[in-house]
Formats: sequence, C-alpha cells, structure tokens
Amino acid sequence: MFKLEKSFYSKTSMYSFFAIVILFFLMWVSTSQFLHIDMALLGYMIGTGVFAIGLVIRFSFWIYRAATNKVATRSVKNLFTKERMKRNAKSITKTLIDNILLQKFIFKRGLYRGIQHIMISWGCIISFAFTFGLTFGWFRFDLVDPETYQMVAFNIPLITMAAHGWLAEIFYNMLNIGAVMVLIGVSMALFRRIRDYDVKVTQRFEFDLLPLYILLAVTGTGLALTVSYKFLDGWMHPHISLVHQITVVVMLMYFPFGKLFHVPIRPLATAVPMSYQETLKVDTKTCKSCAQPYSNDDQIADVQAILKQQSFDLQLADGTYLSDYCPACRRRMRALKQMNLEAPKGNPYGPVNTNNGIHISGFGKKRTDDFYGIEEDVKKDLGEEKEYEPVSR
Amino acid sequence: MNKIMYLEFERCIGCRACQAACRECGDHDAKERNYVEYVDFTESRQTFPMLCMQCKDPACARVCPANAIQITEEGVVLSAMEEKCIGCRNCTFGCPFGIPKFDFEKNKMYKCDMCYDRTRDDIPPMCASVCPSEAIRFIDFDEMQQLRRRRTQMNLVEGKKPQEGNKWDYVPEFFGVYTDSQ
Repeated sequence: MFKLEKSFYSKTSMYSFFAIVILFFLMWVSTSQFLHIDMALLGYMIGTGVFAIGLVIRFSFWIYRAATNKVATRSVKNLFTKERMKRNAKSITKTLIDNILLQKFIFKRGLYRGIQHIMISWGCIISFAFTFGLTFGWFRFDLVDPETYQMVAFNIPLITMAAHGWLAEIFYNMLNIGAVMVLIGVSMALFRRIRDYDVKVTQRFEFDLLPLYILLAVTGTGLALTVSYKFLDGWMHPHISLVHQITVVVMLMYFPFGKLFHVPIRPLATAVPMSYQETLKVDTKTCKSCAQPYSNDDQIADVQAILKQQSFDLQLADGTYLSDYCPACRRRMRALKQMNLEAPKGNPYGPVNTNNGIHISGFGKKRTDDFYGIEEDVKKDLGEEKEYEPVSR
Repeated sequence: MNKIMYLEFERCIGCRACQAACRECGDHDAKERNYVEYVDFTESRQTFPMLCMQCKDPACARVCPANAIQITEEGVVLSAMEEKCIGCRNCTFGCPFGIPKFDFEKNKMYKCDMCYDRTRDDIPPMCASVCPSEAIRFIDFDEMQQLRRRRTQMNLVEGKKPQEGNKWDYVPEFFGVYTDSQ
C-alpha cells in the first residue's frame, strides 16, 4: 500500500482515483459493457463523478483529523473482534434504526423539526438512490413485451411488472414522491430559519441557508418537469430539463463541502454504542478523586491519546491527567487552584483548607508567622527591639 | 465585543440566580449551562460559579471526532453543531475545566456560549446581569485591569507579597473575549 501511494500525488488522490475506477467498473458491469447508457443523463453522470471525487477528498481530510482517526480506528478494531460480535450487531442495528431510519433524537428536539428533517432526509435519500442508479445504469427498465416492463439491476434481470400496474406507477413517480417530501421539508426548514430568532443568532447564510435554497431549486425545477409533461404537453420541457440538470450539478458540487456533508459522516455515530457505551448512560470508569463512575476506560484512553497527539499538556504533578477526574471534580480543582485553597501538601485527596489566610475567621485567631514570610534575622531584629527603649536625642 | 467576563469566586453567595437566568435564555431549552458548586461542603458553605473559559485553542473542539464545535469570529466557543454532533461526549472528558454538558435524550452537547446573541452586542450575558454579589461581571477591559490591580494591592495590605514564583496566585479569575488591539 505504501509503495502504491508513492505513485500518486497524495493519499487522497489515490483514494479518489480508486473511487472513480470502482464507480466506472460498476457502470461497465451493469450496462453490459456500456451498451445501455442513458445518454440523456450524461450531465448527471459527469456531475456525479466530480461529486464522488469531492466526497472522497472531504472524507479523507475528515478521517485524517486526530480525533476522528482515533475514534474510527477503535471502532474498526472493535468491529472485527470476535468477542464483540453480538454487541456490534446490536449497536449497528440500533443506530441504523433509531438514528438513521426513524431519527428519534431529532423528534425529541421537537415534532416540527423531526417532521422537517425526516422529510428532507428521506426525500433526498430516495431521489439520490434513484438518480444515481439510473445515471450509472445500476438498474434500468427493459420492455419485455408491449405490456410488461422488467427491472434489471447490475445486469441481472429482476422483477417484471405490468406497464400500468401500481408497482410501475410507483417507480415512475419515485422522483416526484422524493421531490414533494423534500419540498415540504425545505419549506418547513426555511420558515423556521426565517422566523425563529434563536436559530438566527448563529446561522450563516452560506452554511445554513444556501443548502436549503439549492434543494429548493432542485425540487422546484424537478417538479416543474413533471408539470410540464403531464399538464402542459411538454411546454418548455427541454429548457426546464437543462435548468434542472444545472441545479442538480450545483448541488452535487456543493454537497461534500457544505452542510450536507453531515449525511455521509453520520455512521460514525455507531462508535458510541459500539466502543464507548454498552448500555446508554451507564459509566464504568471511576473518578480518581471522588470515586464516582463518570465514563469508560476506552473513551478516556482515546481522549488522552488525542490530546497528547495535539500537544495538550493536561498532566498533573502526580502523573494523572485532568481527564482522569470527573467533570465536577475538574471544576472544583480549578476553583481551588484559583482561590489558592488546594489541599495541604502530602495528601492531594484529603480535606481542603478553605481559609486562604487572607481573611481570618473570627477575631480571636491569629495568623501563623510563616504567613507574613518575614526572614529570621529580621524577626530577630524585631524581637530585640523590645529589650530597650529607643533613645531620642 | 470588547468586554470581559470577570469572575470572583469569593464573592459567590450561592443564590444560583445565574443558573435560573441561564435557564431563561432563549434556545437553552430551560436547562442551565453554568455551574454553582460547593468548594467543600464539609468545610464551609463557600460556593463558586463556573462558566466556560472560551479557550483560544479549545481542547473540546480538538477531541471532537465530528469537528462539531465551532468558534465565532469574536472567539466565542459555541455548543456542538447539532447536525454534526454524534453524541460521543469526548468534549466533556477532554475539557480541562469540565464545562460541556450532554443531553442524552436529544443526543447533543450544550455548553456556555457567553449568551452569544447578547454579548456580541455588548449586552451582559444572563448570568452576569442577575448576579447580586457581582461574583460574575461583564465589564470593560480597562475596568478589569483596574480590578486586578486593586486586588493585588489588597493582598499587599494584608501582608502578602507576590513573588516571581507565585505572582499568578494574586491575579483573580478573568476571562472572556477581547481583541489584542485593546
């Protein structure tokens, strides 16, 4: 692998090259040696090729980050550990269903946001899957006889269906269904972004609003195509088709570099149940100071390794790291340090002295001599003063 | 934004008005993001307020595998971006000060953002605007310097002298966001 990498400009360019090779190999297989390419979709095909390269580049840079790399490496290692098979299967299924299929956590943030997000995400997934599949010829519809269509996936004939049957109708309207879903979701999202003050505070046009406008343009022109051929006898169809193609290519170019990039990185969420938390909210690692469980050994090891890799010096005098203490103890340590109240030398876990020596509690108490820090010979001089009266002349 | 968040732990009377105010802030979902805790309950009733330091190079952002923690141009470290956060809690363990909180239900991290919507317009954050004992203050850079100097003088009057090795013990807590040109 190392040698192979040397023949490329960089690791990232090697990965991009292989992504493109795999993509076109799949295309070659599924279109029976480029026989069944849909030439009307050529623009989309080139756009998707660029999209794939962009995605690989962004993905590579993301995975090179110290933190991401650590978490991903541990997850991959755990994935192929035999003893963890059951746990892995459970974690992956759970994340897939809860986080990606049903998106439960977004519904907990609000019903409105849940509906909005599930509409956009599933609308996009349906449309993307269908468009990519048709563009690269991964699946196509062949006419067996005038009344029957056959679906061919990767050049393997699959189901046959009546040309006007319900299944065929669903396939014909798949992109329309996706577009309507996205349209509803995007409208809801735009309405929220325009109206909600709290969201406005940190939103940025190019990051939060632009993807919504791009999606709106794509769905708008896409649905206009349907309107054109269904109700207007194909009025302006070639022009709308071209505009739609442009909007889609713009979206594909934008995808890896903007907000939409959160979609392909989401599967990393499986790392949480897979490597860090067997059961949610149950911690196994105990705090060095208060002995309360607050985390898990693997995660703290990862955090410490990531911090060390980036030269964060958070090691204490006794060799422990700040991350060995629970957050509450860390806050307390900071306050103690700041107020000069740390525990007396010897026992770092013993009771603290909340009297910092500046303010003495009660009138009967006196400060110890070492508080004033007066040197011995000076003290002696001060003591000698009392033995004789100063003589004034 | 040229103002400073100025904390004096000794001034805290433990009323938790700052936490109540924090819960009231928009977008906080009735959950406070700051802390008021006892130094050592068995020793005394002294409490201290705790907020985010808004680090220039935040450890929380560095340990985030999803690159979800962003810093505004004013230098405020924001809560994890909701669409990126994968809910691993690395930030809560990486933070040397134990600041970020985590919401298991909504699967997102939230932390003190110095009430960014207020402080970017030089309006004091919720906690500072309600603190009755001025343990949390939102003040000008010059005022902060004055307070620090006065504090050092007070220590001198009390008979303590800062020396090279321990001079930082005489400087009270201050943090916040200010430009270098100030």
